[in-house]
Amino acid sequence: MKQAALFLADGTRFDGGGLDYEGLALGEAVFYTGMTGYEEALTDPSYAGQILTFTYPMIGNYGVSGAAAQYPRACVAGAVIKRIARHPSHRSSRQDLPSWLVEQRVPTLLDADTRAIAIALREHGTIWAALAVGDAALASAEARLTAFARSATTKDLVAGVAARAQRREGPPDAPRVVLIDCGVKRAILRDLEALGVGVTVVPYDATAQEIMLHEPQAVFISPGPGDPTDLPQTIETLRALLGKRPLFGVCLGHQLIAIACGASTFKLPYGHRGGNHPVKDLLRGDVIITAHNHGYAVDSSSLPPSLEETMVNLNDGTNEGFRHRELPVAAVQFHPEASPGPSDARLVFAQWLASVGIGP
Amino acid sequence: METAQLRQPPRMPQRNVLVVGSGPIVIGQAAEFDYAGVQACRALHEDGHRVVLVNSNPATIMTDPEVADAVYLEPLTVSSLERIIERERPDAILPTLGGQTGLNLAVELHEAGVLARFGVELLGTPVETIELAEDRERFKLKMLEIGEPVPESTVVTAVEPGVAFARVRGYPLVVRPAYTLGGTGGGIVRNERELRETLASGLSASLIHQVLLETSLLGWKEIEYEVLRDGAGNCIVVCNMENLDPVGVHTGDSIVVAPSQTLSDTDYHMLRTSSLNVVRALDVRGGCNIQFALHPTTGEYRIIEVNPRVSRSSALASKATGYPIAKISTRIALGETLDRIPNPVTGVTKAAYEPALDYVVVKIPRWPFDKFPLADTRLGTQMKSTGESMGIGRTFQAALVKALRGLDLNRETLTGNGHEQWTAEELDGVIERPTHERLFAVAESLRGGLRRGDADAAVARIAGLSAIDRFWLYEILELVAFEEGLRAAGDAPDLPGALRNGYSRNAVARLCGSAAVSQGTSFRMVDTAAAEFPAKSPYYYMSYGEADDMRPTAREAVVVVGSGPIRIGQGIEFDYSCVHAAWALREAGYAAAIVNNNPETVSTDFDISDLLVFEPPGADEVEATYLATKARGVMLAFGGQTAINLAEELARRGVRILGNDRASLDMAEDREKFDAALSRLGVARPEGKAARSFREARAIARELGFPVLVRPSYVLGGRGMEIVYNEGQLASYAESAPPILPDAPLLVDRYVRGLEVEVDAVFDGEDILIPGIFEHIERAGIHSGDSIGVYPAQTVGEEMERRIVDATAAIARELRIRGPINIQFVIDGDRLFIIEANPRASRTVPIIQKATGVNIVAAAVRIALGERLREMPYGTGLVARAPFVVVKIPVFSFAKMRGVETILGPEMKSTGEVLGIDTTFAGALRKGFIGAGVRLPGTGGNILVSIADEEKDDSIPILRRYKALGHALYATPGTREHLESAGIVCRPVNKIADGSPHVLDLIASRGVDLVINDASGRHELSDNYKIRRAAVEANVACLTSLDTARALAEALESNDGPPRTLQAYRRMHALA
Repeated sequence: MKQAALFLADGTRFDGGGLDYEGLALGEAVFYTGMTGYEEALTDPSYAGQILTFTYPMIGNYGVSGAAAQYPRACVAGAVIKRIARHPSHRSSRQDLPSWLVEQRVPTLLDADTRAIAIALREHGTIWAALAVGDAALASAEARLTAFARSATTKDLVAGVAARAQRREGPPDAPRVVLIDCGVKRAILRDLEALGVGVTVVPYDATAQEIMLHEPQAVFISPGPGDPTDLPQTIETLRALLGKRPLFGVCLGHQLIAIACGASTFKLPYGHRGGNHPVKDLLRGDVIITAHNHGYAVDSSSLPPSLEETMVNLNDGTNEGFRHRELPVAAVQFHPEASPGPSDARLVFAQWLASVGIGP
Repeated sequence: METAQLRQPPRMPQRNVLVVGSGPIVIGQAAEFDYAGVQACRALHEDGHRVVLVNSNPATIMTDPEVADAVYLEPLTVSSLERIIERERPDAILPTLGGQTGLNLAVELHEAGVLARFGVELLGTPVETIELAEDRERFKLKMLEIGEPVPESTVVTAVEPGVAFARVRGYPLVVRPAYTLGGTGGGIVRNERELRETLASGLSASLIHQVLLETSLLGWKEIEYEVLRDGAGNCIVVCNMENLDPVGVHTGDSIVVAPSQTLSDTDYHMLRTSSLNVVRALDVRGGCNIQFALHPTTGEYRIIEVNPRVSRSSALASKATGYPIAKISTRIALGETLDRIPNPVTGVTKAAYEPALDYVVVKIPRWPFDKFPLADTRLGTQMKSTGESMGIGRTFQAALVKALRGLDLNRETLTGNGHEQWTAEELDGVIERPTHERLFAVAESLRGGLRRGDADAAVARIAGLSAIDRFWLYEILELVAFEEGLRAAGDAPDLPGALRNGYSRNAVARLCGSAAVSQGTSFRMVDTAAAEFPAKSPYYYMSYGEADDMRPTAREAVVVVGSGPIRIGQGIEFDYSCVHAAWALREAGYAAAIVNNNPETVSTDFDISDLLVFEPPGADEVEATYLATKARGVMLAFGGQTAINLAEELARRGVRILGNDRASLDMAEDREKFDAALSRLGVARPEGKAARSFREARAIARELGFPVLVRPSYVLGGRGMEIVYNEGQLASYAESAPPILPDAPLLVDRYVRGLEVEVDAVFDGEDILIPGIFEHIERAGIHSGDSIGVYPAQTVGEEMERRIVDATAAIARELRIRGPINIQFVIDGDRLFIIEANPRASRTVPIIQKATGVNIVAAAVRIALGERLREMPYGTGLVARAPFVVVKIPVFSFAKMRGVETILGPEMKSTGEVLGIDTTFAGALRKGFIGAGVRLPGTGGNILVSIADEEKDDSIPILRRYKALGHALYATPGTREHLESAGIVCRPVNKIADGSPHVLDLIASRGVDLVINDASGRHELSDNYKIRRAAVEANVACLTSLDTARALAEALESNDGPPRTLQAYRRMHALA
C-alpha cells in the first residue's frame, strides 16, 4: 500500500496507507459520525473543500450503488477511513468503494487512527489540513499546507458545486417552486418532485427579479458548503423576496434566510456532521432525530423580533429552526431529506408546502 | 436560585414500586435480567422511590438488601405475588424488566384482578400492548393495519388445522408457540411428521395453547432494532444488530454484530422507520426489541417478532453502545421523557439521542454441548445456548476473534481446532444445517479453498449452502489467511498484525512458536458518541497501534478478573462475587477495575466499577489493564475457574496477585500435592489411586470395593466423572471415556455415599470465618451444583460441626489461603471425608451471603488487601445459626435440550437455582419446589415410579408417604412387584416392550403429575432414559433421586409460612 498521511495545521500528523490515486488534498478537516451513508456523504456538495474523516471504522461494506449519490461526482476534497471494504456485498452495489475513490481522484488515507483524529478535531476545533497520498505529495504536504492555511477561504466553495444555469424540472403544469441552488442534494429535488412540485433550479447568485420571472409559488433555498456570510448576493436576493414569495431554507439556506431577516451566524467549534442529532420541536414539544451537516449555526440570541425560534438542538442548544411571525417564511438547520440519515423529519417539506397552499 | 429551581422538573411523589425479577437462570432467560433489574432499582432509588423486589433467584445482585428496600426471595407465582402485594400495598408495578417471566406474571396478575383490587398501577408499556405483541393473530392484524409486512401465517390451537395450512402453503414452515421464552417448543419443520411433532410440543409449551405457523424466511438476513419510546411519543433507536447467521437460527444462538454491517443507509433507515412505526402503533413506553428479516436480493422486509420489554438483545445493545436501556426504560415508565432525562454517559447531553459507534461489536453464543454428549446440537428456532461472549474491536475481525477467545473453550483461533480432520461432506453438512461448530466449519472450508488457490469459489460455495452474506465470508477468509500466514511465519510472526486482529500472544506463539512481548496496546473508550462529545464513562476496550483514551483513576486501582460467559458450572454466581469485590474495593478506598466480557451481567455495567475493561478475561488483557492502571494488584478468586486458571501465567509475567496466590491455587488443583497436605493434617479423603490403564483401574476398584468414583485427572466441574457399581459398568465406562494419557491418569476413589456438606469460608492466615454450613439433600455422588442445599445444616451435630470448622481452618492454613475457600465434605456415620477444596469464591457464596448477611466477598477482598478478620465487623469462627431455613433448589433447562439425559450424577447439569426461605425446613422446601416450577400434585395425583434395584428397599417408606398423601402410584412390572410385596398397591403400566398403551403413552397423555425415576442406565436407549425424556417433553416434573423424592414428600406434607422480606429474616437472625 502507498504511504499516506493527514497533516493538521497545528502540526499534528496521522499516518496510514493510501489508495492507488496519488495526490494532495487541502481543506478543512471535519468528521462524520454516521455509521452508514458513506456514498451519500462523499457526494454531498456541502462537504466541498473538506477532508472528511469517517468515525465509523468499517466503510465501503455495501459498495457504491450510484443511486445513492447526491451529486454527479465526489464532492469531498479527501477522505480518511479506518478500514475500507474490498469485497463489498449488496444487491445495489455496482462498484467497490476503493476503486470508486480512485476513479473519482479522491486522495484517501486508510488504516488511520480515525478516533484520534476525531478527538483532535473536537479539542482543537475545525482546522485546515492536508491529506497526502504517495511520496511526492507527502514531501510537499507540509509546505503546501502552511501556504494554504495563510490564504485559505471558503468563498469559492458554493460556486464550485452550485448550478451554473437555470433549469426546469417536473411537469409544466405542476405548482412551481424556485430552488436557489447553493449545492443542492439530489434527495431534496427527489423529495420535492415526489410531492408533485415542479422545481426550477436557479444559480445561487440569481437575483430576485430573475427569480420572480419564473412566477414561482414559493422559493426554496438549498443547503451548500461553507460560510453563509460568503454569499452577500444570495442574502440580498432573499431580502428582496421577503414578503413577495413564501421562503423555505434548509441548512445553509436556513442560515441565509436568518441573515436576510437580520440575524447573525457563527462558526461552530467543530460542526455537526452525522445522523443522530436530537432536535426538539418547540411548538409540538416532541423530539426527532435528524441528519446534520453544517459548520455554522444561527445565533439564536440574534434572532430579530420578527423571527420565532421553532426548534433547538438538544445536544448544544443551537438553533435548528425558525419561522417568521408575519410572513410565510421558515427554515430548518437539519436535513429533512436525510440521505444519509434518519427520516424522522420526512414530513417537513410536505407540511411547509401545505402551509403555503401548495401540494396535494 | 429561583430560576434554577423553576427549571427543575417537578419532583414526582415518592412511590412504592414493585419490581418483578425473572427467577432462576434457564436457557433463554439469564443474567441479563439481573442487569436490567439492578439498573431499574437504582434508577428508582435515585428518584426517591421505595422498591419492593420479588425474585426467587438468590444469585442475583438485585436481591441484595442494598439494592431494594424490601427483598422477597419468594416463588414467582400469582398466588405468591398476590400475598406480597397484599402485604406491601405497592402503588405501582414495573413489569417489563423481568423478562418473559415478569411480563407473564404482570399480565396474569392483571387478568386475575389482583392489580385492580389493590390499586396497583401498571407502569410503562400497557398490558394491552404486551398482550398484543404476544398474541400472534392480533399482532399480525395490527401490523397489517399500519402497513408493516409480516410473514404469511396462521394461528392454530390444534394440530389438524396446522396440517391443513401446510398442505396449501407447503414446507418449510416455522412453528412459534405464543407466550414462551427462547422459542421453547417451536422450530422449523420440513415435512408433515415434523410438523405434527413440533405442533404438539409447541401447543403444550404455550401458556395459551396457541401456536403461530408461518411461512419460512430461511436465508433472509436477520436484523434487530432496539428502540426506546416515551409516553410523549419520542422515539430513538439505541442500536441495530445484524446476525451473521441468516434467519433460521434463533437470535440467541446466532453470531450477532452491532451495528449492522451489510445494510446500506437506505436499508438501515427503512427498518429504523418501520421500528418507529411499530412502537408508536403499539404505544410502547420503554424499551422494545424488533426483529426483522431482510431479503438479500429484493430488499423486502418482514417483521418477525416484537418484544415490548428489555431483553437479552437490549442488554447486548446496552453493552455494545454504553446506553443504559433498562435505566432509561425505568425513568420512562415513571413518566419521564427522553428529552428531559440526562444522558448518563456524557452528562451534558440528553437521553434523546442515538449512539454513534466507532468500533464493532460481535457476540458469539456459548453452548452447553460440551456437558451433554447426547444433546441434539443442531441450531434452529429453539435457543440452546446458556451464555454469550462479546468482543469489541476497531474492526469486525478483531471483535470476532476476541469474542471467540472469550468463549473460554481453549480455542484461540478460527482454524486449527481439529476441524481439519473433517471430511468435505462433514463440513458442508454443518455449514448447511448449522450446529455450534458452523463458524469453525466455515473457516476450515475457506482454508481448504485458500490451499487449493480458489478462495472465491469457496466463498461462493459456502454462501450457497448457508446463505451467510459474502461480506462476512470474505472477512473470515482474511482472518483464515492471516492464521495460515502465522503458521508459515516461523520465528518472525506479524505480531502487531495479530494483536490488531484480536489474537492473543499465546495464540501467536501456538501457531508459529514465538511471540515476543510487544508494545502498542491501547485502551479506547466506549462513549456512545464516536468521540463527538467528551464522555465520562470509564468503559474501555483494547486496541492496538492507536492512541490511548484511558484516564488515570483518582485512587489506586485493583483489578478484579471476571468469569466470562455463563455456562453450566460457572454461572451468574461468580458475577455476583465480582460485583461485590468491586464494591468492597471502592469501600476500602481503591478504584475497582473489572476485566470481563459477558454482556449479560451486572459486573459489565460500567456503573458498577471505577473502570471497566470489556475484554476476554485473559492473561494479555489482565496484564495490560494492570500495567495501564498501575494497579496495586489483581484479584483472581472471584471470577471462577476462568480467573483462577490465569494465576500461573500472570505470576510468570510479573503481575502481582492479591489474596490467594499461585502456590495455594496449584495446591488445590494438583491432587498429589493436595493429598500430601491432607495427610499431614490427618484429614481423611476417600481412599483412591491413580490408574494408568483400565486394567489397573479394575484392579484398584476390586481392592477398594464397588461402588467407586472414576474420573480423569485434571478435570473440573465433574466432567467425565462417574459412579461405577460393578465391573460391567466399569467396562462400559472404559469404552466411552477418552483414552488414559500418561500424564493424566484415571482416578479411582472409593465412593463414600454419605451426607454431603459444603462450606464457604475466608481465612486471613490466622483466623477463619465461616458464615454457615450447607447440607445437601442428595447424598454424595450428585454434583453439589445439582443438589438441594440446606442452610443451616439440619442433621449435622455440634461435634461434627466443630470438626468441620477445624478441618476447614487446617486446610486453609495448609493451602496458605488469604481469602475465600470452598470445601466439600462427606459425612459417613461419624467419619468425615473431604472430597474437594477450591481456593476461590464458589457457586454458593451469593446464597450464604444472602442467608446470613455476612459479606464474605468483602471480607476476602479486605484480607487480600492486607487486613485481618479481627479488624472487620464480621467476627471469626462459625457464625451463629440462623433461626430460619433456606433451601437452594437447582433448576434445569432440559426442555431446551433435546435428547439430554436428565438423571443427576457427578457432572453438573443445572443452569440455575431458586431459594426457598421459611421459618421451618419443610416450609422452605415447599417454597423452593414451587419456585423451581415443580408443580406439586395436590391429593389425588398420579405418580409414576421406576426404582433402581439397589434402591428398591429404601424407596418403600418414601412411597408410603406419597400414598398417605392420597396419591396413586403407577409402576412398571418389576417395580410394582417389589412395592406390592411391601404392601404398597400400584396401578400397572406396560413397559415399552410390552406394547401400547405403555409408560410413555401414559406420560405423553399427562396421565401422571410426577415421575420418580432413579434407575441409572448408561444407555440412551434404555426405557428409563425414555421415560425421563418423555416427562421433560410433557412438562411433568421428574425426580431422579430418592433423596429428592423424600424432600418433596416432606414439602407436600406441610405448609409454608407467609412471605417475609430478606430484611425481616436478617433482623430475626440478628436478634437470635
